[in-house]
Amino acid sequence: VRVPISWLRQYVDLPRDTQAVVGRLAMLGFPVEDVEERPPITGVVVGRIVNLEKHPNADRLLIGRVDVGKETPLTIATAAANVAAGQMIAVAAIGARLPHLLIEPRKMRGIASEGMMISADELALPADWFEDGILQLESRARPGADVAAAYGLDDDVLEVEVTTNRADAMCMIGLARELAASYGVALRLPSAINPGTQEEPPGETPRVLIESSDCLRFVAQRFDGIRLEPAPAWMRIRLALAGQRPINNVVDVSNYVMLETGQPLHFYDSASIENGRLIVRDATPGENIVTLDGVQRSLSGQSLVIADERQPLCLAGLMGAAAGEVKETTTSIVLEAANFNGPRIRRMSKALGLRSEASSRHEKDLAPALTDAGAARAAQLLVELGVTAYEAHAFGAALASNAPITLRLGEVERLLGVALAPTRIAGHLEAVGCTVVPRPSGAIDVVPPSWRRDLAIAADLIEEVARMEGYDAIECVVPSVPAHEISSAQFELENRLAAELAALGYDEIVSYSLVGRHAPESAAVLDPLSEDQRYLRVSLLPAMIEYFARNGPVRVFEIGHVFRRENAHVGEYALATFGFSSTATPEAAWRDSSFLRLKGDCEALIRRVTGRYPETSRDARDGFHPGKTAVMMIDGREVAHLGQLDPRLARKGDAALWAYACTVLLDRLPEYALPRYSPPPKFPSTYRDLAIVVPLDDTAAEIERLIESTLGPACTGIRVFYEYRGPQVAAGRKSLAVRFTLQRFDATITDEEADLAVERVVNALRKRGAVIRQ
Amino acid sequence: MSELAGKLDDLHRRFGAAVATAGDTRALDAVRVEFLGRSGEVTVLRRDIGSLPAQDRPAAGKAINDVVAAMEEKLEQARARIEQRAVEDELAQTVDVTFPAIVPLMGTINPVRRIIEDVSAYFGSHGFAVVVGPEIEPDYYNFDALNIPADHPSRESFESFWLSDTLLLRPHTSPMQIRTMQLHRPPVAVLAPGKCYRRDAVDARHLFQFHQIEGLLVARDVHFGHLKGMLTGMCRALFGQDQKVRFRPSFFPFTEPSAEVDTTCPRCKGLERECRMCGGSGWIELGGAGMVHPNVLREVDYDPDVYAGWAFGFGAERLGLARYEVDDIRRFINSDPDFLAQLQ
Repeated sequence: VRVPISWLRQYVDLPRDTQAVVGRLAMLGFPVEDVEERPPITGVVVGRIVNLEKHPNADRLLIGRVDVGKETPLTIATAAANVAAGQMIAVAAIGARLPHLLIEPRKMRGIASEGMMISADELALPADWFEDGILQLESRARPGADVAAAYGLDDDVLEVEVTTNRADAMCMIGLARELAASYGVALRLPSAINPGTQEEPPGETPRVLIESSDCLRFVAQRFDGIRLEPAPAWMRIRLALAGQRPINNVVDVSNYVMLETGQPLHFYDSASIENGRLIVRDATPGENIVTLDGVQRSLSGQSLVIADERQPLCLAGLMGAAAGEVKETTTSIVLEAANFNGPRIRRMSKALGLRSEASSRHEKDLAPALTDAGAARAAQLLVELGVTAYEAHAFGAALASNAPITLRLGEVERLLGVALAPTRIAGHLEAVGCTVVPRPSGAIDVVPPSWRRDLAIAADLIEEVARMEGYDAIECVVPSVPAHEISSAQFELENRLAAELAALGYDEIVSYSLVGRHAPESAAVLDPLSEDQRYLRVSLLPAMIEYFARNGPVRVFEIGHVFRRENAHVGEYALATFGFSSTATPEAAWRDSSFLRLKGDCEALIRRVTGRYPETSRDARDGFHPGKTAVMMIDGREVAHLGQLDPRLARKGDAALWAYACTVLLDRLPEYALPRYSPPPKFPSTYRDLAIVVPLDDTAAEIERLIESTLGPACTGIRVFYEYRGPQVAAGRKSLAVRFTLQRFDATITDEEADLAVERVVNALRKRGAVIRQ
Repeated sequence: MSELAGKLDDLHRRFGAAVATAGDTRALDAVRVEFLGRSGEVTVLRRDIGSLPAQDRPAAGKAINDVVAAMEEKLEQARARIEQRAVEDELAQTVDVTFPAIVPLMGTINPVRRIIEDVSAYFGSHGFAVVVGPEIEPDYYNFDALNIPADHPSRESFESFWLSDTLLLRPHTSPMQIRTMQLHRPPVAVLAPGKCYRRDAVDARHLFQFHQIEGLLVARDVHFGHLKGMLTGMCRALFGQDQKVRFRPSFFPFTEPSAEVDTTCPRCKGLERECRMCGGSGWIELGGAGMVHPNVLREVDYDPDVYAGWAFGFGAERLGLARYEVDDIRRFINSDPDFLAQLQ
């Protein structure tokens, strides 16, 4: 809400210092998002044009005699076309300061001009919201009065944020009320009395038929003697300072009352209402309405309209229809001050894509009693403009006061941790408008004021007490947290993985979960911000590949969720993906130490976080190189897969990226298995190396398993440590070197025993088709 | 006899010269072998003793032994001298210690995780557990259970990404309040960090994907002062001991009373009128907090007359902006290697 501080000052005495007001509003729960500092304006006064004559030496200049409340009028030359004798205008006397002007004595074509007639623009008001030429003040203005002070031009304007529960504070009176309560000073409100007392001419009494339970109250009031013209300057200037463009006296009154009281109003041309009867009803599906913004809208039964017997004249709470519009020819109007069901208005506004100042208030919980106050205020302003006001007629439910809330006084200390005297608690609640009735046994009954629809339970009242006491007054206490059994295991697993991956030399990145590319199992958001962010990622790899392409050779990891559509729901899986890119190509077609390094990192990582050793086997997987992909299993379940990224997918521009990555499935990692210590053997071990030639398809793991099963527990270590393929061995074969460690636990192993073991291994290998070298 | 003496003199003299020129222990060994080795000159002289008259032989033997003893002593002295010099040479070497180091291969933890870990460590030391949960939530957990019924005006302020009529990417971590309280009877004391999503236009201060840190304490005798105490402690742990924390009234459907929490701008401490961090206000916004609404407690079958609690939700990247004086929140997503290296 845009709030000119000068407007608030009408109702409540405030400090001069803008920052003091800003700070107080913030500590009441109304943060000020922006302060528009008004430029200083001094020496501009109200003047009455006594007479005007043509400048003797210049066709286009006029010489005015202007009464500024002093003994002798000022002589002022002007080139403006919209001036006439008898007008009240703003005059900058000699020495006046304006945003872009300093008024000094000067001669215009030989005649000394003792000041300057002022336009809205020169007062730092939006030029195109006001008349061309000299700003016209209202006739009741007093010559000599200081314009800046009288019209609030020199006070700053605040952009105040009001939370959705405080519809009552979306207006000047609402915020003034808060400040008055907080400062403990008086609140000066306009009279609540509606000046409309006359009965309408026969047959002209407005009638309202409420057919929908979503209209809680409707105050209708007829006004005659309407002539559309600009509203008085004071009203136009206030509206402009509040960011509302002045239109004409009728529209301006409705906007003014809404900004002042919070009650949105609507005016109908009486002549446009068939038989003088308004009906609040659901729209018939397919019914059309042309709203005041010129848009034709097709309605559904969800829309609530105010219609006459022929057609809808207003979209309830949103905007009027052209059919009921107040026009140049209008002489009589009917006011609507209504209260609607907020959620209904919000749904309508959303469905029609139509939001207005009125709807932003109606969609919240406005107080039904506000309808009467809004109508009364509008009637006062219209009567001031010379309009005839008739009686106000209220339709709908009778006004009821808010239900009392019982507050046990001990609850205040229980929730806030501050002990307050019962009188202090009651005082705070009364300051915000509540009626407090003591009850026996340490409780009070509290009736919230009509405008505070948000106060419904004891906790709401406790917040009011805290606000008035000031949140600063609540002392900081560090609690002693009672023991509980809640586990942090999942969080700790992720942090552990991150720490180990960082130790392995990988940098942690965070990428977007919403991506542009989709897989068959991708879930999509219904209303993405852009097509690049329509789908939920199914893998962390594409973002990592893009990262590789952008940043050159790097080692990175990401821990995050991926999502897969699974029938009616979306499955969510926690993954850790790490990988690296390099510029080097692999050294030989069959040897890839980058892969082996990746594998080593993965084994080390899994060992660190699970205490287990995974089994690796060859695998095929989308996104990976078909010949360089592996899966790691623990207890027969996949825990990770890894490999070189498919060079057809991992690209930087036209070139392939040499990139390797591993994905660990967090949900599959077994719980950490505590390692147990084995002391070093008492007897020395020995080892033997064998060089063998085997078919290309034989894997290192198969050879190791064969040796292991041949030797049994006597073999305590085994490792294929060298591979060769090439012209030195027969086609279709490769050479491997393997070392195995032999150990006895009851004695030192002898050479004879070791040789015997080698012989058994050689036999087993030969049986498998291996050739033993030298 | 005098012939032998002459030979010994000569031998001793030449030995002395050879030892003096030996520069290292290996040269010294060569000298020893040449003179005192198995086929060295001394051995040759000893062999000659046999050709002397018998009465001269003891004297000759003694003369040779005396010279040998003297030579061995010289040898030892020379060895000590050479070793001493080697140590001195080694110690005389200098390197340019300012020469750039050989950088180890070490990775980095993302600054957002670091913030979450540090906040968790503070709360952990006070007995809070840390829980994590799903990023896709049914509207029940995200709204209904948090006292935000279907027509509540604040639903829209969450600007959520919906996947269907009922599923959405969570716009806050508060659903974890419900999930935790449904799983555990009071007391509960948890932190729930995690990713959240909002349909916010991305700019220097906003991301549509960010991390929130939720905190929840529900037990007997928990009050607003405890919330202030813990959050003040947290800010001091993150930003320094002189840090101030300010609570302003606010509104959230799932807390009552509610508060917005600000902390002293860690960059300018409120001293700069044009501070790029706080815009001159002296405060930076951390997020929302408040006493858990009784309707939320009732939803999980906690008796609001017996138990009370508080909750808060802060943006981790926002904390990161303030803590590391980062100029643009977008740097936390797909961060380039330099950003990660600077903030490790």
